[in-house]
Amino acid sequence: MTALAFTFVLIAEICAVVGQVFFKHAMGGEKAAMAWKLTLGITAMAVNFFLWTGLLSKFPLSFLYPFDGLNRVVMMFAASIFLKEKMTLNLWVGVGLICAGVLLVSRS
Amino acid sequence: MPAVVEPSDEVKAETKPKSGWFFNAYTQLLLSILLSTAAQLCLKKGSAAVPEIWLGVEGLRSGWVWLGILAMVTSLFSWLYGLKYIPLNIAFNLAGLVQVLVPLGAWLLLGERIGLTRTCGIVLVLAGVYTIARPLMQVEEKL
Repeated sequence: MTALAFTFVLIAEICAVVGQVFFKHAMGGEKAAMAWKLTLGITAMAVNFFLWTGLLSKFPLSFLYPFDGLNRVVMMFAASIFLKEKMTLNLWVGVGLICAGVLLVSRS
Repeated sequence: MPAVVEPSDEVKAETKPKSGWFFNAYTQLLLSILLSTAAQLCLKKGSAAVPEIWLGVEGLRSGWVWLGILAMVTSLFSWLYGLKYIPLNIAFNLAGLVQVLVPLGAWLLLGERIGLTRTCGIVLVLAGVYTIARPLMQVEEKL
């Protein structure tokens, strides 16, 4: 996998997390803010979708799909940056395993 | 922040799943997992229509891509329904199954070859997903 392709994977996964968070807040939050949150959520999901479909046309599904595990890594880092959540050992182990797995897949 | 109101009996009755196996929360969760696997397989089939550009907008010409979108949306609804009745940590752990089902489907239905290196990689990702499921679920609630 080229650096460009990997960048696209990362952007897609970040968009997926952004989309999920905005959807959640649109559903649970105040009615007035629902429209722009939904719009942002749908936009992020659409970017994710088109990037992913583009990537799928270039790589086998069994190669690309494990990279979706990075979704969790992005979520952890987002939580530690924006919510100042503590990165526990458990989390680092999980992040490490996912990254090692993705690295192996990228060389297959 | 709205005040927490003790739900009346009527509301409580509504929050129970409807009877019948189809409305069982676990059936719906399983359906959601199968549908999101199917969505990936459909998207892969449809993405052949995408020319050599990076954005897959052209893929919308393929019926497979639309079928994939339909599966994704249906999967989301089943997931949300299941989540109403199943603890988040169980749901998150079950959702990890998709990481196995997608490569399995790609092998069986799309004829992709999966070598030893890739299999090991998939197993590692899966182990990571399971290690992280519980803390992730706590964080996901706050994000």
